[in-house]
Amino acid sequence: MNLKDLLSPFFVWQRAFEKPYTTIRPTLDRPGAPAYRGFHINITETCVGCGSCHEICQNHAIDMVAVEEFQGRQGDSGLRPRFDYGRCCWCGLCVDICTAASLRMSNEYAWISTDPTTFHFTAGVDDKPWQNNELGYRRAEGYHLYPPKRIEMEMLEPEESVQSFKEVVKGYSVEQAKKEADRCVECGICVATCPAHMDVPDYIHSIRDGDYEKGLQLMYRTNPFPATCGRICTRRCESVCPVGILGEPIAIRWLKRFIVDQVEAKDYQRILNDQTGNSGHKVAIIGAGPGGMSAAYYLRKQGHAVTVFEAQSKAGGMLRYGVPSYRLADADLDKDIDYIVSLGVDVKYNTSVGKDISFESLLQDYDAVFLSTGLSVPSSMRIQGEDHPRVLSGLQVLADVANGRDPGIGKKVAVIGGGNVAMDAARVSRRLGADVTILYRRRIADMPADLEEIHESQGEGCLIVEQAIPVEIQNADNAEQVSIKWGEAEMVNDPKGGRPRPVLQEDRMHVETYDCIISAIGQASNLDYIPKDFQDQLAIEWGKFTPGEYQHTPMAKVFVGGDFANPTADAISAIEDGHHAARGINRFLNPDAYTETEQQVN
Amino acid sequence: MNTVDEILDYAIDQEQQAADFYADLATRAETAGMKKILLDFADEEKSHKERLLAVKAGDHELTPEQEVLDLKIVDYLVEVDASEKISYQDALIVAMKRERAAFRLYSDMAAKVPESHLKEVLLGLAKEEAKHKLFFESEYDERIMKDN
Repeated sequence: MNLKDLLSPFFVWQRAFEKPYTTIRPTLDRPGAPAYRGFHINITETCVGCGSCHEICQNHAIDMVAVEEFQGRQGDSGLRPRFDYGRCCWCGLCVDICTAASLRMSNEYAWISTDPTTFHFTAGVDDKPWQNNELGYRRAEGYHLYPPKRIEMEMLEPEESVQSFKEVVKGYSVEQAKKEADRCVECGICVATCPAHMDVPDYIHSIRDGDYEKGLQLMYRTNPFPATCGRICTRRCESVCPVGILGEPIAIRWLKRFIVDQVEAKDYQRILNDQTGNSGHKVAIIGAGPGGMSAAYYLRKQGHAVTVFEAQSKAGGMLRYGVPSYRLADADLDKDIDYIVSLGVDVKYNTSVGKDISFESLLQDYDAVFLSTGLSVPSSMRIQGEDHPRVLSGLQVLADVANGRDPGIGKKVAVIGGGNVAMDAARVSRRLGADVTILYRRRIADMPADLEEIHESQGEGCLIVEQAIPVEIQNADNAEQVSIKWGEAEMVNDPKGGRPRPVLQEDRMHVETYDCIISAIGQASNLDYIPKDFQDQLAIEWGKFTPGEYQHTPMAKVFVGGDFANPTADAISAIEDGHHAARGINRFLNPDAYTETEQQVN
Repeated sequence: MNTVDEILDYAIDQEQQAADFYADLATRAETAGMKKILLDFADEEKSHKERLLAVKAGDHELTPEQEVLDLKIVDYLVEVDASEKISYQDALIVAMKRERAAFRLYSDMAAKVPESHLKEVLLGLAKEEAKHKLFFESEYDERIMKDN
């Protein structure tokens, strides 16, 4: 050993006073590039938890986890993405697919911890310093992984549509339907919002696969009226579709219609293969509308003998007598109804309960009774002169047209109201050759009618007068006409925070003369067929039922559903009521067949 | 009725009469549902009475200067019968018309007396009745005119 070797440890110490080659906090000197793909940022208020990020992640680095503050929101799954940085490869596909553009990436890339289990977090929920970072990766404006616009539906031109009652919507071709189906991100938020909880993502997937029989099977699990709903559903599913946040929602209704249109009615039995046994129980249903016939379908599948009592000569209720054929043709409605009837449902047509057969006898002769008679009585305006013979009800006009009768409306018509019945009465009147003015108390934006119907009625030449309050019906100069006095309204904010209310301006009154006035301001239930004592037992308030779980009433064997038993009063809600009541009736008839676990699941 | 107390006693009696009217109608109502609604109306009138009793006792002040929205719904509705078969729509019309009549009574009385505390009280009572009318008119607007 030489002297240098002996002294070398002491020379090393001089290095301790030199500038180090490594840095203590590298990010201070080397920040991420401005568009670097670093740790994720999520604007949780904008995110709806659709899970597209989770689906597209090729490394399974994203889990959707429940976050309490977002539970129970309409159109929100209540879930938010949780990132695992042991798996993330920073590709940014999750940002590119995000339907709400809530997901971004910061340019932060250093996260120092001695605990390896900490490198995952729920962006926007777990507090991290980069959450408000302005830099990092953003999806370029206008860039979408899926087309933001839906495939346009071909429709009759208004000039042509008003010439007949031919269906206005033409339907998708196979190519169009597949293109539209390809836009679906299969998040399933629509499933939770649909009253019937239809399996929308899977039946849309069946279009991608070209397997329409499977699509039909999926639809019938929760809805035996797919041909009908494929045309006139209020489609709340589309209102929450996350694809609609940055673009147009998936045309779910039109895709449903497409599937049904690909399958012929004669093949339903083979495809659906519904088994109907004989349980030995008998169930009576009052009303062959969507609620009653939906219940009939699911009750037959449970093996119960079903008899439906219907006052009209055909089944369908308001779908047949209240929805004109340019929106829902009889043949399409019959496709749904005929299949239900084919399962052995006994429909007693032209049979009014309370007149042709008593309510009490149904209670005696059947093991359970389901009431679904809807809202069949037109509401009254209660204004002076309303009983004028030239004042017609919207429901009556629609029923006349459905039955092939001439409602005798004349050539100049005023329609009062802003709901779908009003729009249909107006559009039917246009088809019968009348000039139509719609008077509505509030603004077009406040109308309860489907926006599409409002636009189509305007396209067909109906004139909508907003903020017009009818105050009196007067005799015209001749008996064939009628005059209406109406006043302009100012919208005044509700001090309690409700929607603005129309206030009549008495200095701005108008009088107009028409061949008839069609009143379509709403409908109420007719419960005269239920004896008073039973009405008291059924706990009816404001003409409506408030059913309990499984649509039951305080009377043990009586169940209710449909427009007079739910707040939305649309076909899809009635269909779900019928399905749910069938479950309830089955439980009532077979109490021992349901274990506690099954009751929780079903 | 020349004193404030006399006017308040009259108004309190009117509210009690209204409560009795709805309670009586409830006993004759055909269905349990309508009976409950009418009893709710009776309770509403009793709450009006309680408020006026509080005014008389000096625990609550009337607010004649307060602006109350007039939806003018009832002004163009026909008279309806308060029979045992009364519907919810007609029950609301009856209630609105009663409140409007009371509002007009106090307004007319106020117009006939000179500026005084009595006039203030009458105007305050008119505003109370206008508020009651607005309550029923709002209910009519929400429930009966829902689609219109």
